[in-house]
Amino acid sequence: MRRHAAVRMLLHDRATTAGSVLGVVAIIFLVGQQLATLSGLVSYMSVLVDRSGADIWITSKDTDNINSAGDLPMKYVDRLLALDDIEWAEPLVLAGGLLKREDGQFQPVRVVGLARPRMAGGPWEFAEGDIGVLLDVDAVTVDRLDLETLGGPEVNDVLEISGVRVRVAGITDGIQGFAGTLVFASEEKAREVGRVSDDRCSNILVTLRPDAKPNHALARIRALLPGAEAYTTAELATNTKLYYLTETGIGFSFGFTTFAGIMVGVVIIVLTMYTTVLNRVRDFAVLRALGARKSDIRLIVLYQALVIGLIGTLIGFFLLAGFLFGTRGSQLPSSMPLWIPPLHALFTLLLCVAGSGLAIRRATRVEPASAFR
Amino acid sequence: MAEPVVRLKGVVRDFFDGVRTRRVLQQTDLDVFPGEFTVLAGPSGSGKTTLLTIMGLVLAPTLGRVVIAGEDVTGYSEDRLATVRLRKFGFVFQTAALVPALSAMDNVLIATGVQGGRVTPELRKRADTLFEDLGLKEYARLSPAQLSGGEQQRVAIARALISDPSVLLCDEPTSALDVDSSKLVLDTLKRLSRDPKRGVVLVTHDPRVFPYADRLVKIEDGAIAHDTREIGGGDE
Ligand SMILES: Nc1ncnc2c1ncn2[C@@H]1O[C@H](COP(=O)(O)OP(=O)(O)O)[C@@H](O)[C@H]1O
Ligand SMILES: [Mg+2]
Repeated sequence: MRRHAAVRMLLHDRATTAGSVLGVVAIIFLVGQQLATLSGLVSYMSVLVDRSGADIWITSKDTDNINSAGDLPMKYVDRLLALDDIEWAEPLVLAGGLLKREDGQFQPVRVVGLARPRMAGGPWEFAEGDIGVLLDVDAVTVDRLDLETLGGPEVNDVLEISGVRVRVAGITDGIQGFAGTLVFASEEKAREVGRVSDDRCSNILVTLRPDAKPNHALARIRALLPGAEAYTTAELATNTKLYYLTETGIGFSFGFTTFAGIMVGVVIIVLTMYTTVLNRVRDFAVLRALGARKSDIRLIVLYQALVIGLIGTLIGFFLLAGFLFGTRGSQLPSSMPLWIPPLHALFTLLLCVAGSGLAIRRATRVEPASAFR
Repeated sequence: MAEPVVRLKGVVRDFFDGVRTRRVLQQTDLDVFPGEFTVLAGPSGSGKTTLLTIMGLVLAPTLGRVVIAGEDVTGYSEDRLATVRLRKFGFVFQTAALVPALSAMDNVLIATGVQGGRVTPELRKRADTLFEDLGLKEYARLSPAQLSGGEQQRVAIARALISDPSVLLCDEPTSALDVDSSKLVLDTLKRLSRDPKRGVVLVTHDPRVFPYADRLVKIEDGAIAHDTREIGGGDE
């Protein structure tokens, strides 16, 4: 009966209930949208590492991310191959370059040079062509989402990157980097663009034999290459994300907007719920006189907060899903890992309950004797 | 005489009005007996509501003891008092004081369910019977706003009776009603007071209510001035 009464009261005070629900929707949508954008950006940050297919990455000494291209001797590749834990080891050459657009303007790009024939660290999603097109020394791929930025190149167009002629051989689909437009190329072309000599490379990608123990292998690699660092793929990805989040201020910026969204929602919830209780003081006094304990009143308001929270969460996620589907495949970074929505919903419900605190305080302070005035 | 359903012993109530503390209820002893229609009468501001709410465990006395059906409840916690109110008392307020968000029927049922009690089929049946007895049968699903003042007050009486209380406390229940509705409500309360297990206390400043009283207690300036039984038209 208490819960029934709680719901009837919400339905009766439609305007303020709608206001409270709006507060919840604001939190779910604004914060959810921020989280999706941030998580999209974060996934860009380490996309090369995550999708490399390697178990272990070798980087330069004192480099724990792949923001800056490393500088390693090529002979490390052969040394690594001598370890019996290792299935394969391939160099990666990263080079910054300027792509000359058809209209003569220059666009900075990040060239990822892949070693033939394995093409480790290469692109994984294609709109046109496949990874085989990169076997050609002159070939590069550009991404569908970058076509406009790059002046609208088409397959088989010949372009210049930092004065090096390359041919667009394929179009990747939705492969977005964080620190610049990604262009995949052969190892040789990347060397030309970045003026990287034949005996150096940026990183080395390693995969282990199925029976190898990663920790054991890592220790052996570190002992073998004291002039370099070795990380598991997951470690390097995390380090890279952390680097960008803390060093670029992007973490702070997103944290602030998210906080602002939460505050707006919480203020709306607190004010509307408090208003609702103020309007219902007489009802609570009567219920108290009839025999309701403070805890019963608290339960009614708390239940109302939960109902408001659940409805607002449903509507909010509905809108958020609409937004995410609407922006899918666009240049707007967005991704929603499945663990986010349940946590976000739980967090919002907790906020809603906390936000009802003031209303609950007011409602439980109502004196039963005031029903007689 | 039967055991009193409510016994006040040396009850006093002070109020602080912002400037000084005022004794609104002088030291008072009063027993309320079952099967009797007790009318508490007195001018406005004389302390009737204060006395009634102390009897109903809604207001704590500054001094004195309150005994409900033999159980001394003085010093009980707020929650325990609420539970005694729920079990033993029915309240009818000056205005019907129904919850506007609830239907007439739900307003009655909430009175037994405020502490989380379930609405059993027996309770529902009891509520139906009450609605029928009070001539409210076709109003059960309506919201309070759809009822007249008299109808609302009868719903409030049904609400006061749903848990079959041993004391029914009414604070000027007819002051907001027209003559016909008043008569209907008073007749109903009078009929209810015939139950030998239940005491009915009604507070009023309206002398037209006096003829209904089995016992008339007059209050002036926070003290009992007269206490007479008028059964059969005469004093005891
Ligand atoms: N909560 C309160 N605070 C201060 N004074 C009060 C309070 N309740 C009642 N009083 C005062 O006590 C006196 C008696 O009030 P009340 O019992 O309501 O009288 P009645 O019901 O006979 O009109 C009045 O003067 C009133 O102003
Ligand atoms: Mg009064």
